[in-house]
Amino acid sequence: MSETLLQTDGLTKRFGALTANDGITLGVDRGEIRGIIGPNGSGKTTFFNSLTGFYTPDAGTVTFEGTDITGWDSHRIARQGIGRTFQIAAPFGNMTVRQNMLAVQTPKSVDEHERAQEILEFLDIDHIADDDASGMSGGQKKLLGLGRVLMLDPACILLDEPTAGVNPALADRILDHLRDLNDDGTTFLIIEHDMDVLKQIVDTVSVLDQGQHIVQGTFDEVSTDDRVREAYLGSADEDEVPI
Amino acid sequence: MGAENDLSIRNRIQALLDRDDAHLWLFAAGTLFLTVLPLALNTFWTRIALGVLLWVGLAQSWNMIGGYAGYLDFGHGAYFGAGAFVTGIVMTELELPFVAGLLIAGVFCAVLAYAVGVPTLRLSGAYFAIATWAFAEAIKELALIIEITGGTYGMTIPTGPGTAGIPLVGWPDEMFFYYLMLVLTLGTIALAYWLFEHSEFGFRVKAIRDHEDAAQSLGIDATKIKRRVYVLSCAIAALFGSANAYYITFVHPNDVLAPIITDQMIIMALLGGLGTIGGPIIGGVLIFLLNRMTSLFLGQTTLYLPLIGVLIMGIVLFAPSGVVGILRGEVGREDVKRNLRELAEKFNIL
Amino acid sequence: MVSTELLGQSIVNGLLLGGIYVTVGVGFALVFGVLEIIDFAVGEYVMLGAFMGAIVAPVVGGEGLFVVPLAFVAFFLVGMIVQPFLHHVTTGDRPMPLLMGLVFTFGLAIFMRGSVLTIFGPNTRAVPTKTLEGGIDVTGIGTFPEVRVVTAVVGVLALVAFMYYLYRTTGGTAIRAIAEDRDIARLMGVNINRYQSIAYGVYAGLTATGGVFIGLIYSAGPGMGLQYTAFAFFMIVLAGLGYLPGIIISGLVLGLAQSLTAVYIGGELVFFVLFGMIYVLLLVRPEGLLGKGEVS
Repeated sequence: MSETLLQTDGLTKRFGALTANDGITLGVDRGEIRGIIGPNGSGKTTFFNSLTGFYTPDAGTVTFEGTDITGWDSHRIARQGIGRTFQIAAPFGNMTVRQNMLAVQTPKSVDEHERAQEILEFLDIDHIADDDASGMSGGQKKLLGLGRVLMLDPACILLDEPTAGVNPALADRILDHLRDLNDDGTTFLIIEHDMDVLKQIVDTVSVLDQGQHIVQGTFDEVSTDDRVREAYLGSADEDEVPI
Repeated sequence: MGAENDLSIRNRIQALLDRDDAHLWLFAAGTLFLTVLPLALNTFWTRIALGVLLWVGLAQSWNMIGGYAGYLDFGHGAYFGAGAFVTGIVMTELELPFVAGLLIAGVFCAVLAYAVGVPTLRLSGAYFAIATWAFAEAIKELALIIEITGGTYGMTIPTGPGTAGIPLVGWPDEMFFYYLMLVLTLGTIALAYWLFEHSEFGFRVKAIRDHEDAAQSLGIDATKIKRRVYVLSCAIAALFGSANAYYITFVHPNDVLAPIITDQMIIMALLGGLGTIGGPIIGGVLIFLLNRMTSLFLGQTTLYLPLIGVLIMGIVLFAPSGVVGILRGEVGREDVKRNLRELAEKFNIL
Repeated sequence: MVSTELLGQSIVNGLLLGGIYVTVGVGFALVFGVLEIIDFAVGEYVMLGAFMGAIVAPVVGGEGLFVVPLAFVAFFLVGMIVQPFLHHVTTGDRPMPLLMGLVFTFGLAIFMRGSVLTIFGPNTRAVPTKTLEGGIDVTGIGTFPEVRVVTAVVGVLALVAFMYYLYRTTGGTAIRAIAEDRDIARLMGVNINRYQSIAYGVYAGLTATGGVFIGLIYSAGPGMGLQYTAFAFFMIVLAGLGYLPGIIISGLVLGLAQSLTAVYIGGELVFFVLFGMIYVLLLVRPEGLLGKGEVS
């Protein structure tokens, strides 16, 4: 029934003596929303960076839609259909919102002007399309970040804390957008610290600890798992215990 | 849905037209003014105007890689000089007309810039700056050693518009060169405007400058785009080097490959405003006139150097976005005050 | 026999020269480590030091060596005043701070060179000395001008003093802490402003001191700075940016290379080879030779 869209196999990334990703094997089905959680320093962002070509993995493979994309340049991976956002949503300066959208290298078949307009309308920021992007509010910048990724028409989107630093009303709006996109078939991987947010939206959760993929399951399964509790409690800062 | 789209497209086109209009009229008026200007000028002032055009064009060429792409090319002058020598060699050794020299200089330097750009653009920030600087100095030293450039003797180029392959009987040389520079400079400005302010290519260049990782994650091939900008900006510098060589008729490594050539381009773009179309134009005019006027009225050319030095430091301190930034209201009295206050804090060393 | 003698002479001459270059390179490397600034004005400090030697020496009894401590103090103070400006332009919310820092030092360099050129004219001047006019005989190798030997010795002494300050005093420890990790140094209560200023002051002082030596050996001219900027870049690129011990080796290598190429290959090639090597080294080993890796 379900088809694997993105698969990593033994993905490993080392920085000197530190193994940031230690043999991560993880598969994501098409149409799924997958949460990625873990204590600080557990290797979540490194995992995203290895997936999207910003780091070259020391071992292991990444397969996307049946194609081995391990070690590809990040721009090629983006064109292949994996979009991502960054923790800090910074628009490109000295450009309007629309120009930010048009900067994206869209697939050749797409009319980029039309697509940009559609996405801006979808995200409800078309009224500021021709304003300077640097004047946007924090939440609007997050929306623009998502909008730029959508220009790629990606099958899979990796989000690094999509609602961090955004007011609750706008966070809800962002989540609604993600659900809409998911209904249309877009697959998501989401790093999120806010468990209340995560609970609302994910189908499944993968837990990373010390660079390893320790547990995978539904939110409820994972939140009662001993290994997960240990992973979080084992970390020095009790505030990080999410569940 | 369809009607809504039509409306939005029309709005969009309208908005673009509104903005285009203003710039287009400005450009047309400027072109007209500059075309008739020499009729009102004597030889001396025509030469000054010619120099302004040359430097505005050069500053704009640096602005492409330095301002728009954010790569600090401290060796841009190498291409200005290389363009001069290639033209000289083509005209003396091959005895071809100037037009051939100009084209070959452009193509040769584009190829050279590609070969240099591939490894050099892998370096970032200060390393790129030092590497390009060292490269340009090495080129200058090379030109002083090898025979084909005339070594330390320099090289003399056949004179007169006649050698351009265009019969221009009765035209003063200054006129010919003025219009040559005018075409090159206006062409450079128009190209920069279209490419960097109005096309997706330019948006991508700015995206890479501001946030290379994010740009890459949006499918932008940063390596390829930076290389294209570098090749383009260097080839344009070579065209100006070629035209200038034909104008001054004598080229020497210590003149056309002098580090001050690059310095001036950077300073002009910076003074006017980095990464803007207007910046290099304003900066080019101001700095070149400052240069000529100090020597004209004070009779001493070196005073220009310390003035330039103070000017650079002043801009960096108080108006990093240049004259364009001041015009846009980015640098008010309050900003200067805040700047001074923050600077004073840095002196708190006890 | 003659050629062995020449070779020996060239090697000793190169090492003597290299000792002086080290005094220039070591401060430059320190400034990169502590301030994360690459100073295009480095060669102009050398030029200013040499000029100070040429102008002040007649006042202090015609002895260039007496100018050495004066130059250090004078340019230490100059550096203390310049550094806050540099610090200011590379921090805060201005766009492209790296560019701003580089361009500021660039402007400073042009200002220094242009001022000297405007005030003193384009001519070169000798830095007079009374005591160092003789030669020193080394059996089996040859005769060396006293001035080269003595300046090299004083240069090494200055270097030892510098290293002592950096590794054996509280101030030096603070400076090294800043180079290691600015934020932690701040948390430890180090006055960042003060020690950054001191570091830049020491660099300017040392570099100008090197300039007096160079003026004693050759002469002082307003256009001489660029060459020493190139030398300084060469040394740090070879050693690895910010890596101090490497500077001693690369300074000596530079002195040797200069002296040997001049004798065996021809003077006109020296700078081509030098600049070419800086360029190629940066391309081939951008992080390997540069101990600290990429500047972001």
